Amino acid sequence: MAVNASPSPILSRPLAYGATSLGILALAWVLATSVLGWVGPEVLPSPLAVIARFANLIVEPFAGAALFGHVLASLERWSYGVFFAIVLGVPFGIFFAWVPWFRAVVNPVFETLRYIPPFAWVPIAILWFGASTATQAMVVFIAAFPACVINAQLGVQHVDNILVQAARVFGADQLNTLRRVVVPVATPSIFTGIRIAISNGWMALVGAELVVGKTGLGFLIAQGQQNDSVSTIFVGIIAIGVLGVLIDLCVQRLERRLMPWQLP
Amino acid sequence: MRRIANGNLVLVSAAACVVWIAVWAWITRSGGPVSSLFLPSPGDVVERFGRMWVKPYIGSTLLGHVFSSLSIVLAGWALGGIVGVPLGVAMAWWPRVKWLVFPIFQLIRPVPPLAWIPLTLVWMGIGEPARIFVVFIAALVPWLMNSMQAVGSVDPLLIDAGRTLGASDGKILTRIVCRTALPTLIAGARIALGNAWTTLVAAELLAATAGLGYVALNASRMLDTDVLVVAMLLIGLLGVLLSLLMKLATHVLAPWSLSQQKG
Repeated sequence: MAVNASPSPILSRPLAYGATSLGILALAWVLATSVLGWVGPEVLPSPLAVIARFANLIVEPFAGAALFGHVLASLERWSYGVFFAIVLGVPFGIFFAWVPWFRAVVNPVFETLRYIPPFAWVPIAILWFGASTATQAMVVFIAAFPACVINAQLGVQHVDNILVQAARVFGADQLNTLRRVVVPVATPSIFTGIRIAISNGWMALVGAELVVGKTGLGFLIAQGQQNDSVSTIFVGIIAIGVLGVLIDLCVQRLERRLMPWQLP
Repeated sequence: MRRIANGNLVLVSAAACVVWIAVWAWITRSGGPVSSLFLPSPGDVVERFGRMWVKPYIGSTLLGHVFSSLSIVLAGWALGGIVGVPLGVAMAWWPRVKWLVFPIFQLIRPVPPLAWIPLTLVWMGIGEPARIFVVFIAALVPWLMNSMQAVGSVDPLLIDAGRTLGASDGKILTRIVCRTALPTLIAGARIALGNAWTTLVAAELLAATAGLGYVALNASRMLDTDVLVVAMLLIGLLGVLLSLLMKLATHVLAPWSLSQQKG
């Protein structure tokens, strides 16, 4: 069942099957839309129409900006939200695990709020900040923050107590133990949290932009829907997916660079 | 963990709860620093919560909105299971099915389920089918991935033993594979339900005429902050309840998995 990576002619079979199924899908798409015309462009645009729309959106503004402008607007909000989630969430999580009374005090609030999904915050964010960048950034923050806190906390909690005691025996104070022993050991877990936060934030951003905003990829597809331009929706969806994958790849790269001992 | 005993920490937590609510009440009191348009006082929220049980708010009572949300979540979640589990099992059992389906799946997976909402609105209009479809997409991924993993992780030795003892393919699937795979499958069901709930709230913000997300967005537009907070807390509470129910299901359906996890 498991496919290992040694090169042999049989192992290209999965690839062949994959290519076949994707090819059939693409062929069906072309046949149904362009050749046979079973489904009209108001339901499913042809691949050519999507490509043409993509080229068109790059040069011509739609819904306030060209495609690149929407991408930048989305990325800007997303990076604000994720930045604050990491900068606040990671120390918060470390502190959470290290100082029991702090955790006891804050946990009831944290647990209550954590169970409210990020999108349920959209209406109240609109109320607080209006249709501004801050609204979307807040939703991204709320989606990303718990992952940072929880994984930092788990990382610190799972640090071997013997290491901590050894550091103490050698005369390290609390701060030094934390900085020299606990945080480095917890780093992989912290990074896992950051990675989850980054992708959660991206998903939440799309949701927030669908509801409120005047630019961004979510807004682009919402406008595509309002104008009955399905090809625009397709371009938007593809852009969101591709950017999501690219962001994840960048994070993986960074992870490998920063912690070469962690990954194969 | 350190120095303070566990019992004391529970006390600290309980005291903290009281203090937090007191702070909330104090800052939102009439004439206080935070206006009720920004954040309602706890008293207002409780009062509004009581009133919404009996008096309809945009179309139905609170219970009606809860039912509307829950029925769509369950429908989308169940549909995800009906499609996802057989497909996942087939993908793990016959490599060819996996080779055929997996690339398409990988192509669709990076797109957040929410991004499908505008497309479903065009295809199906504002209504229950559109919401069920979006929830279905959100639930399908964990259902499928976990059932595939569940079957794939079965010890081949057990299968060989079954075969040696003369079991047919069908029997091996039902008697060995399904039983070993159940815990992973239930974990998938739990993740699927969580995803479904989160996604439903977003879908209700965009394409609904009932449900808690719809209530929340309308409350925000009409500046009914107390209604908004009621809806948010209820969404959180129902999320917790659904997750507890799934934990209970694990206890009932696959009790052996619990001791396994600890060991």
